[in-house]
Amino acid sequence: MFPTEIRLGGLLWKVPWKLSRTRKANQRARLKKVDAVIETVRASGIQCGALTRALELPKEHEMPARDKYTVFSPHARGYRKGIHKVPKFTRITHRVNPLGF
Amino acid sequence: MSVIHRHLASFVRRPATARALSTATATPTHYRVTLRRSPISLGDSIKATVATLGLTRRMQTVYHPISPECAGKILKIKELVEVANVPASEVKSQEEQRRERRPTRGFSVQAKWTEAGF
Repeated sequence: MFPTEIRLGGLLWKVPWKLSRTRKANQRARLKKVDAVIETVRASGIQCGALTRALELPKEHEMPARDKYTVFSPHARGYRKGIHKVPKFTRITHRVNPLGF
Repeated sequence: MSVIHRHLASFVRRPATARALSTATATPTHYRVTLRRSPISLGDSIKATVATLGLTRRMQTVYHPISPECAGKILKIKELVEVANVPASEVKSQEEQRRERRPTRGFSVQAKWTEAGF
């Protein structure tokens, strides 16, 4: 299930430090699909709090690369770590980071 | 020959254009929601939202009337679903969707054994 000490005959899983070109492309595609869902709901002409909050999120093309592929981490050097280190990062909303980081 | 070709082309293209026109002209009344990603291990709240929309398995499609309540649910699970606004004429029940997926029988009955007079 989890990587364990290789000296103890365990598994060694190496998680890459940054996303590959392909994984970044997949990440962008996922963000665009979510944008499409928000746009469809907006086009249906209803008004609700969830929609207001969703429209406040930056769109994929408005996001800087930093926010697309990395997230704020208080413990990481430079206060950033790869977004692929976040559990379930493909199925959660994570678009904005603390201002100034 | 060219006449036949044009005939064929018009015949082949008609359903697609008809469908496109119906979606363009008719005002959308429903959301067509398809569950693309599983809510497994995303927590009870997300799972309950998916269940409330009537989605029980991946790639399942459901139709819901356009309403703020439904929009809120869709937006809560926006990473998991694909949504389209469709007019009432395109709303299909689960049974109708299943019938559409069913393959053709591959034959047509010319005459029944009892009616053929053997």
